[in-house]
Amino acid sequence: MTARLVMNPNPAVLQNTDKISLAADYVMQQRCRRLPVIDKDGKYVGVFGINCLLRLILPKAVLMKDGLETARFVKSSLSDLHHRFNEIMDEPVTLCMTEEATTVDPDTPLIETLRLLYGHMGSMPVVDSKNGKLLGTVTYWDVGRAILEAKV
Amino acid sequence: MEHHASQAQIIFGLDPTWVAATLFLVTYGLIMLERVNRAIIALLAAGLMILTGVISQEAAIDDGVDFNTIGLLTGMMIIVSITRGSGVFQFLAIWSAKRVGANPWGIMVMLVLVTAVFSALLDNVTTVLLIVPVTLLITDELKLNPYPYLFSEIFASNIGGTATLIGDPPNIMIGSAVGLSFTDFIINLGPAVAVILPLTLIPIYLIWGRSLHTTQELRMRVMAYDEKEAITDKVLLYKSTLVLALVITGFVFAHDFNQQPATIAMFGGALLLLLDNLPRAFCDQADACHKTYSEVEWTTIFFFIGLFIVVYGVESTGILDRLAHEVLALTKGDQMITAMSILWVSAIASAVVDNIPFVATMIPLIKSMAGPMGGSEQLIPLWWSLALGSCLGGNGSLVGASANLIVAGFAERAGHPIRFLPFMLMAFPLMIFSIAVSTVYVYFWFF
Repeated sequence: MTARLVMNPNPAVLQNTDKISLAADYVMQQRCRRLPVIDKDGKYVGVFGINCLLRLILPKAVLMKDGLETARFVKSSLSDLHHRFNEIMDEPVTLCMTEEATTVDPDTPLIETLRLLYGHMGSMPVVDSKNGKLLGTVTYWDVGRAILEAKV
Repeated sequence: MEHHASQAQIIFGLDPTWVAATLFLVTYGLIMLERVNRAIIALLAAGLMILTGVISQEAAIDDGVDFNTIGLLTGMMIIVSITRGSGVFQFLAIWSAKRVGANPWGIMVMLVLVTAVFSALLDNVTTVLLIVPVTLLITDELKLNPYPYLFSEIFASNIGGTATLIGDPPNIMIGSAVGLSFTDFIINLGPAVAVILPLTLIPIYLIWGRSLHTTQELRMRVMAYDEKEAITDKVLLYKSTLVLALVITGFVFAHDFNQQPATIAMFGGALLLLLDNLPRAFCDQADACHKTYSEVEWTTIFFFIGLFIVVYGVESTGILDRLAHEVLALTKGDQMITAMSILWVSAIASAVVDNIPFVATMIPLIKSMAGPMGGSEQLIPLWWSLALGSCLGGNGSLVGASANLIVAGFAERAGHPIRFLPFMLMAFPLMIFSIAVSTVYVYFWFF
């Protein structure tokens, strides 16, 4: 049993040229936390998620290493945040996607896939280590369904 | 000072002078190469100084390591490690930005002042580590380029640190080795800093200050910050302010009561540890203490220990003595020419290399000049020149001081990197300007 058997081979994906506004709409409508990003050849380039959106509207000084430990003194309104979002909505998703997200090879054994999934909350891209192409995603739900539907 | 050097046995019958000089030069070279961490190099070289028999372990520990410097550094690091959790740095930065109506140039002046004052009373690295994130938040909010602010804060931290005994490691070393008090530093270097800091702001204003503009709407956002919310622990703030005030008072009067700054700093550290841990259950105190002690910068402390031993190894062979005579021959033993030479050489050297090993070597070298110059009283202007040169010289390049590199790290993460050469193109002439001002100051103040 490998990751290939429990993955969703047709996941929703973003192109690396897609705008942040499109990604934000999709993430909000589908309530998905993380979406794989691919280039025009179908190669995996990174992950765009809800955290990316938060990162874009929060001040950098709050998120950076050794940055501010509290931002309680900042009094921003919803319209301030909307304003911040408007400034970057036409930028490509690559502006803030995560390139270091954990991925699995389709031939990764099932238990190892589950172990990685456990440590990385939610979903992981399945990437062919030979050609770098995105083959699908593994999520809690895909794995859960596969286990429940398995014959005892 | 009692010398134990003769008790050591040099290996293979080598000439101890050559062994010590070679070890010393290789240590300097390796520190400059920045391939291996300086704390590792210094400790290795110190070990070799003893293993090769240049000095004995007893001599290294009894006469080599200046435990007054080590104690003062460690004590202050303990106090800072507890104090920084209170949010007082962020409070003052925001408070000062609001006092000038969030005006871009006003904020620059205020942040420079806050950085300079904190750098004078605490260490420069902690100061910039806590002031720079607030600066980035404010410049982000005002949509201003943070570069001029970060540049000025680097200068403010090194200039501010020059003013006191505890402001910068070179001062700690000089004060400890020569027995200069906290008040001596304030009286002799304070006025220089009070002149240099505002003068440095003039070119900064002409280059950047005039073009810093923002909108009224963005300024209102900064004005809406509630600085009181930055205080994360009010009780801790009171405790640490109390201890800090006691420690500073202690530094001022220590000399009169024959006490060393290390005792004051260590006692202050212990007192703050007690106040911080009293409300905690006994079983929780171990974790809290462990956290505080682990935040002491042991790499710096061990670097100092190693370096003191290496320099003592060289000193014990008499090389520095001979070098001092050479220097005096060049300056014809003239007190003013010697002071000016020390000021300029230490400034240029501190811009290029680490000022800590430089000052550690200069101290015994200058001490050796006492005889030929007619007593240790004659050396006083030389010590102030060394302090001014080595502290202010740190502004000359990005590697001139640890705080510079910390600010550069933040700038990189904020997407406004400070590059080595562009920084030096601005910083080096500005540093030279501050040394020129110091030259006039030393001339009129001490001669």
